[in-house]
Amino acid sequence: MRTSDSVKHLFARLVSSLGRATATREFKWMKQALIPSHSLTLPAMLQRRLSGEPLQYILGTTPFGPLDLLTRPPTLIPRPETEDWTLRLADMLSPTPHRPLTVLDLCTGTGCIPLLLCHLWPPGSTRAYGLDISKDAIRLAMDNAARCNIPSSQPSSLTPYSQNVFIPVLGDLRDPDVFKYLLPPFDIITANPPYIPKREYDELPISVKDYEDPAALLGDPPDSEEQDGLTYYRLISQLLRQKGMLRDGSIVALEVGRAQADAVEGILQQSAGLRNTQVWKDPWNVKRVVLART
Amino acid sequence: MFRLLYRCHSPLKPYRRFFSSTRTYLAEAHPTSSNVIHEIEQDGARILQAVRKRIKVRDELLANMSEDMSSPEDIARARQIKELEPLHEAWSSWTHARQSLEETLPLMQDPDPTMRTLASEEFSSLAHTLSTHISATFPSLLVPPSSTRDLHALLELKAGVGGSEAALFLLDLLRVYVRYAGSVGWRTSIIQSSETESGGMRDAILEIKGEGAYDALRWESGVHRVQRVPATESSGRTHTSTVAVIVLPLSEEAESIGGNDELFKMEDVKVEVMRARGAGGQVGFLFSCRVIDFDHRHQHVNKTESAVRLTHTPTGITVSMQDERSQHQNKRRAFQVLRARLMDVKLSRDIANRRATRRNLVRTADRSEKIRTYNYAQDRVTDHRIGLSLMNLTSFLEGDGVQDFLDALRRNWQEEIMEDVVGESE
Repeated sequence: MRTSDSVKHLFARLVSSLGRATATREFKWMKQALIPSHSLTLPAMLQRRLSGEPLQYILGTTPFGPLDLLTRPPTLIPRPETEDWTLRLADMLSPTPHRPLTVLDLCTGTGCIPLLLCHLWPPGSTRAYGLDISKDAIRLAMDNAARCNIPSSQPSSLTPYSQNVFIPVLGDLRDPDVFKYLLPPFDIITANPPYIPKREYDELPISVKDYEDPAALLGDPPDSEEQDGLTYYRLISQLLRQKGMLRDGSIVALEVGRAQADAVEGILQQSAGLRNTQVWKDPWNVKRVVLART
Repeated sequence: MFRLLYRCHSPLKPYRRFFSSTRTYLAEAHPTSSNVIHEIEQDGARILQAVRKRIKVRDELLANMSEDMSSPEDIARARQIKELEPLHEAWSSWTHARQSLEETLPLMQDPDPTMRTLASEEFSSLAHTLSTHISATFPSLLVPPSSTRDLHALLELKAGVGGSEAALFLLDLLRVYVRYAGSVGWRTSIIQSSETESGGMRDAILEIKGEGAYDALRWESGVHRVQRVPATESSGRTHTSTVAVIVLPLSEEAESIGGNDELFKMEDVKVEVMRARGAGGQVGFLFSCRVIDFDHRHQHVNKTESAVRLTHTPTGITVSMQDERSQHQNKRRAFQVLRARLMDVKLSRDIANRRATRRNLVRTADRSEKIRTYNYAQDRVTDHRIGLSLMNLTSFLEGDGVQDFLDALRRNWQEEIMEDVVGESE
């Protein structure tokens, strides 16, 4: 009786926070996520939601295309914008076991981008690497690979590809040694790097900033001269410029923040020497991805 | 199961007593066995009339054949006769069985008990043959195979007049269809629903996966009316509420997103995706809580929005889906519903076109028309289109009563088609 009263009360508060329609749906999803023996209870979930925690962390998963990925704080929760352009990228190319592609995803986080590509492309057509500086992220990416039934270890080079492979790698993209473990050249390089400028980040409410890793959000290190959120695009461009990183006909796809597309296009053209660029808009009509081809 | 099956007089269409196709005619159960032929013939009156007309046509064709059978008209006649051959054979076997049955009747009063037993067995077997002709053989020869026989179904239910009581009744009906589908072995899932605070549903979309689901359920389309005392009504007054049901055809391919096919062009579909207002991307996800502040709501809670809306510009049909957490899933569902609605439009148009070329009109129910009443005080369900009433509401709501209505409606439809086929050839 007590529990149901408190659920009722908490739900009423959620309604006044989110509006009835959204609150009702979220409540339904919470109930669906309940596992009887699990320690997670409905009042606890509602409490956490009311204190501002993202639903994806409370439920522990998020849909990403046809995949259902694990989410754990503080690793960045995959966004629908990223889902949209990854699906579009997957649609654009059609690798086969005879013409396989090697993918490198920088700042891979949950591993959502390479995992979706591995899931959508035919078995044996894709070998993907995901680089991240965070141990939490790499652990989560490994768990997600297992959840998606995608092997996350280097297959023996003697056996031909029969499955797609996603290998999460802990490392700093500024560290030149990291490419001893990865095997360039790459056919596709993707990234959803941190891109929020400091001044925008500061305006975000503390209750929300508490949950996701600032390192996955802040576009520039605190000591950086530039505070435009573009530091990682400059770093990635230096990488791309290195000999042997890209093949002829390779594709680079970088997600960008609000009003950053033109600047990132400029960086790729000037600093990486990639002249053939285009910009994709997201479903909300915001310039969201800069695409470059060698 | 039902206390009584009886006919009520409908202004729309007279309907004779309804027998389920599995009914067996047992000699022992009929003190007046001679009535059995009459009963079977009355039961299948519409079918037999349709068959007789076709047989008459065949006889005339035969009579008009010229001696040498070589003129172009003769060739056309010969082809028609050949097409009618299977029906003619079935008719011959019917006539033969009927004759034998008549001959068996006197033997059932024979003084020799062995003879009586034999005659009785013979009687049961022949009666079964005759009823099978009515329920299966003739319809299979006269009713063309349905072009929609493979399709699955989407059931859309919307509460009409009656407020929360209508929403509660919607839930009752939804359960009936879910249980029925389960009993047939079809898989169901509720792909959209909006629950009311009183525990009912304002609307719902039920997906029913199973071959033949559409053909079986299509006649459920229309307004269902309930007359009962709501659980919440203290004065005991009977309320009348309604729920509108639309049964849509669903094909296997309907699940794919986008793509150009015969139903629509991708360029004609406007896809809108909702999201918590804000800039999107890494920022917007977090910004959404500020929107809530603007709305004068407290708490910093970021929103999850995954709703998708499709608009098919040429028809103005819109579909909104928001029940799944995944936008991708909602989009897939929305395209599924859009395809089902467009296929429904296409089927209705095909029927209208065909009908325009016929003299014999097949009446199909308008969806705004009241098709059925569930009267609790009288413990009765009535289908107004065929004038069929079943007593024992509980068996409808909690048993398999709906099957009797579906059978009767299907049979009514088949008979209309058979009459129609005859009409065409005249």
